[in-house]
Amino acid sequence: MTVAAGIGYALLALGPSLSLFVSVISRKPFLILTVLSSTLLWLISLIVLSGVWRGFLPLKTTTWWPYGILILTSVAFQEGLRVLFWKVYRRLEDILDAFADRLSKPRLLLTDKMQIALAGGLGHGIAHAVFFCLSLLTPAFGPATYFSDKCSQIPFFLLSAIIALAFVTIHTFSMVIAFNGYAEGNKMDQYFVPIVHLVAGMLTLVNLAPGGCTVGIPLLYFIAILTLFHCGRMVWRRLVENQSR
Amino acid sequence: MESSILESIGVEIIGVMSPVSICMFLVVLLVYSLSSSDPFSPASVDTIRTAANLVYVENPSDSASQKLEGALLNALVFVILIALVTFLLVLLYYYNFTNFLKNYMRFSAFFVLGTMGGSIFLSVIQKFSIPLDSITCFLLLFNFTIVGVLSVFSGGIPILLRQTYMVCLGIIVAAWFTKLPEWTTWVLLVALAVYDLVAVLAPGGPLKLLVDLASTRDDELPALVYEARPTVTRTGQIGARSLGLLVAGVSDSSSIELQAVSRDNNVNRNLNEGRTNSDYSAVTMEDFRNEEVHSDREDGERSPLVSNVRERHSSSIPSSEARQLNNRDPEIVGEETSPLVEMFEFGNEGRQMRRGDVEITDRGIKLGLGDFVFYSVLVGRAAMYDLMTVYACYLAIISGLGCTLILLSVCRRALPALPISIALGVTFYFLTRLLMEPFIVGTATNLMMF
Repeated sequence: MTVAAGIGYALLALGPSLSLFVSVISRKPFLILTVLSSTLLWLISLIVLSGVWRGFLPLKTTTWWPYGILILTSVAFQEGLRVLFWKVYRRLEDILDAFADRLSKPRLLLTDKMQIALAGGLGHGIAHAVFFCLSLLTPAFGPATYFSDKCSQIPFFLLSAIIALAFVTIHTFSMVIAFNGYAEGNKMDQYFVPIVHLVAGMLTLVNLAPGGCTVGIPLLYFIAILTLFHCGRMVWRRLVENQSR
Repeated sequence: MESSILESIGVEIIGVMSPVSICMFLVVLLVYSLSSSDPFSPASVDTIRTAANLVYVENPSDSASQKLEGALLNALVFVILIALVTFLLVLLYYYNFTNFLKNYMRFSAFFVLGTMGGSIFLSVIQKFSIPLDSITCFLLLFNFTIVGVLSVFSGGIPILLRQTYMVCLGIIVAAWFTKLPEWTTWVLLVALAVYDLVAVLAPGGPLKLLVDLASTRDDELPALVYEARPTVTRTGQIGARSLGLLVAGVSDSSSIELQAVSRDNNVNRNLNEGRTNSDYSAVTMEDFRNEEVHSDREDGERSPLVSNVRERHSSSIPSSEARQLNNRDPEIVGEETSPLVEMFEFGNEGRQMRRGDVEITDRGIKLGLGDFVFYSVLVGRAAMYDLMTVYACYLAIISGLGCTLILLSVCRRALPALPISIALGVTFYFLTRLLMEPFIVGTATNLMMF
């Protein structure tokens, strides 16, 4: 039963990405490699961040602003990495196109590019879920559960799985939005992504307040759905444009 | 063509990565399920003497410097043993004791699958209290072992079965290795990576000698090497092959070394009963050697076709992009050479029921079993600390493997598969453990994420 609970938490956090992985990514080896490398990139960013913050941890204060600074720096660093990822991807795209030409295969289609962006985002999302949710899940397989002080209505594992799901969604689809924004030179999309990421991170600060999770999590899901919606609309628009051309 | 380029790039890399991932995953699962019940079981196992801790038996109460010293000595002795056995193998191979080597390899596979696999099987049964009578258990184990021995060392067996048994062997040996004490494991892994580097790349290194020797011969030798599954599309297949040749030489050699080591350990453990280790280890080494030889020979056979293609290809590619393009070289090669390749395949199909040639054609990248084992040992050791370190080490090892494969396609010679992956894995383990974990736990338990 407890094993079932543990697996349930894991699937709650990673189920959607798993199905995305199986249905879209796993057919194309290059996308798998993209997922792996973007996961690695996220891990490295996390290690660098924790190296920087190691001296200040653990934060004993009950005030929220040190955590705010922590999240601010983390998000800023990761958004910087996203730009880097984009630059690398640009070069990769050129090489892939040159390669496709030589093989007399079609160049990268719009959907291919979007899939690469999706794979990159999925890598970030999976890394987030794995390190923030899954790796803390070991005790959940045991006979007990754990409740956080601040949010004592729901078990901590369930809570972190729910939050992780929202973040997986945000990470996955904001990468698609960001890549499209960069490709089109669309300033709005370029700013949309970091802002969404920052807002989502800041919203988790609400959880610090006693009982704050009842407010914070719905807000977080609102952000996630907004991202999803925006991404869907943008992809739809581009596909329609692409077809009419 | 409908299929986009995304589907054809990296097929061969994934073909190697997925079995390694499966192997690591199963080892982690095994370590978790077997160790979670009684946290003190590793300590009791530690008292077993193996070749890997001949000098020093780690004691939890020892001081850090004592542990480090002991672990260094252990690793040194172990690596020296391996080197000796490898040289012995080279000698045996040089004087054409091929049949002896082959049979010994069969025996050692039987031994590993039967005794070590059997004891793991038993402990799994005990752990989950599966009701199973001894006769059924024995029958199951016997059949499993016999099929394993047949599939590992003879032709005419489905490649999938062969691959499965290779992964099984890797899992079993790695699961035994995880019972080594902590400090010894880490020092040993690093020492092996260094040894691998030296033995494969240094001019007088035993593995290099073996490879050179093997490439001058045309013997048919069995191999304990994982062969990446032949891919479905023709271009992919060719790509895999051409990359495979390069990789095969490289990783085979490393794998051979690794395997020898692992077997030594197993043997030694088994030797609790009082046998001398040297015989067993020698045999295993021979096996490894055989593998290497095999791969080399394949290289030799293929080389005309492949090298032609490659030359053409490389001439057409500007050198600045060489690294990235090299990854995709195989595909291009495939397209360009399709007539040749088709003929090749045709011939092979005719002989499919036989050994040798067919195998060569069907093979993609090859990765030594030893690499499987030691990757899994690292991950398994990480699993004893926390899940977080497991993920970090997994990512590090896989990316190291990817780097090795890329290097392989650049260098086109046998490369050791261990050093990059082990270095990355160890670094990430300690970074994660020392830096990341307090950070993550501190933020996540406050329900803060980003």
